[in-house]
Amino acid sequence: MTNIGIALAVIGAACAALFAGIGSAKGVGLVGEAAAGVVSVDPSKFSKVLVLQLLPGTQGLYGLLISILMLSRIGIFGGNPAELTLSQGIMFLAAALPIAIVGLFSGIAQGRAAAAGVGITAKKPEHNGKAIIMAAMVETYAILAFLISILLIYNIAI
Amino acid sequence: MGSTTSYASAVAAVKAMESALLNYSDMEQLISAATDTEFNAIISARRGSDASAGSELADAWEVVHGYAPDCRELEMLLYKYDFHNLKAALKAMIADCEPEPYYIRPTNLDLGELSPILKAKDYDLLPLYLRETAEKAYQLLTDTLDGQLADSFIDTATLTVLQDSAEKSGNEFLKNYARITAVCADIKTAYRCARMNKPRSFLEIAIAGSADLDKEALIRAALTGTDGLFNFLDTTIYGEKARLLESSTAAFEKWCDDEVMEIARSARLQAFGFEPLAAYYIAARAEQKNLRIIRVCKECGADRETITERLRLLYV
Repeated sequence: MTNIGIALAVIGAACAALFAGIGSAKGVGLVGEAAAGVVSVDPSKFSKVLVLQLLPGTQGLYGLLISILMLSRIGIFGGNPAELTLSQGIMFLAAALPIAIVGLFSGIAQGRAAAAGVGITAKKPEHNGKAIIMAAMVETYAILAFLISILLIYNIAI
Repeated sequence: MGSTTSYASAVAAVKAMESALLNYSDMEQLISAATDTEFNAIISARRGSDASAGSELADAWEVVHGYAPDCRELEMLLYKYDFHNLKAALKAMIADCEPEPYYIRPTNLDLGELSPILKAKDYDLLPLYLRETAEKAYQLLTDTLDGQLADSFIDTATLTVLQDSAEKSGNEFLKNYARITAVCADIKTAYRCARMNKPRSFLEIAIAGSADLDKEALIRAALTGTDGLFNFLDTTIYGEKARLLESSTAAFEKWCDDEVMEIARSARLQAFGFEPLAAYYIAARAEQKNLRIIRVCKECGADRETITERLRLLYV
């Protein structure tokens, strides 16, 4: 059963990086599309729209961090994997789910909000800050999920 | 996320270009401009050095279509010009003259190919929405040699095809656009026919009908004269606005254009989809019309109040 435990933990680590990464990729891609449209008309707005494009990228980083923390915690990096029971493996998998799921959906949602914000920057560049704030609000939920995933990972007894 | 985030790039580009559209303050300055040089300077100042910012309607279309070349919905906005060009090509063919001076751009059609296709009666080479109308209009024109009848037939077909296409698309923006376009055209046609005592046979060809204005009821009302027509329209939501025709055709036409602009304005808040692109094109069209109105009115020596009254609603 120890193999299954470690396998579940590794699946959890993979999910954290995978789904949060997908969310970020979709979000950043969408904002990139919108940003390219604005820059094609007015290249001077590149720096302003770039900030908006970066916003949905954070979910992918959170997922990556959770994945690294989890792999470190279960000893994969040291080449000496911990012996995990089935229930411990399930707990690690569950610990990855907040950032995996919230990262996926918040990345996409933040991408939509930021892409809409690109429209604000395009029409009224002086209100760029408001567009950033509105898109950044979505980040709150990704941060909450990130924190919960960290707390869970460090509080699972091995 | 496909359909709900479509045309993100095109919409963002169009939003950037919206800042180059003329606003009410610019229109006021244009009305006050003393010379053509001053007039053009005001437009250049607003548009900056970017020549792509809708200096002509065809340019505006090229820009919008360039950002969303695969957008079939946008093409519906040009049906009016496509059918006009069909009319021009058919009449030029009958009159044995060059159609080029009568063509309107932008259009979905390859105008170089239009005349040869019609001459060869190779209607299958035309876009699907134009084929049946082209064939029937040619038949009607050659059978009757009545240009006005053929015109009316094609105008009606424009409205019918537009409404059918909008209905098939299922898009509310397009359905509203098609509805108001058909309603305005039908009211104007019915009014003119009522004034000219046109027979039922003509009205049946000239009136398209729509969900808001039943074709048969409108024809019956138009046959009773202008009073009967307005009495009928009073039973619809268009009664008050239709009565503008009694005092001024220009006032009614302004209302029609403003209604279309209200539909376009409904897309201003959208961050995705083809609607903001369509709205930008409609805005550019209204801007061109306003510039034409100001120029013509100034040339005719119209006063400021008259010009302002006739100006169409703006997008920005």
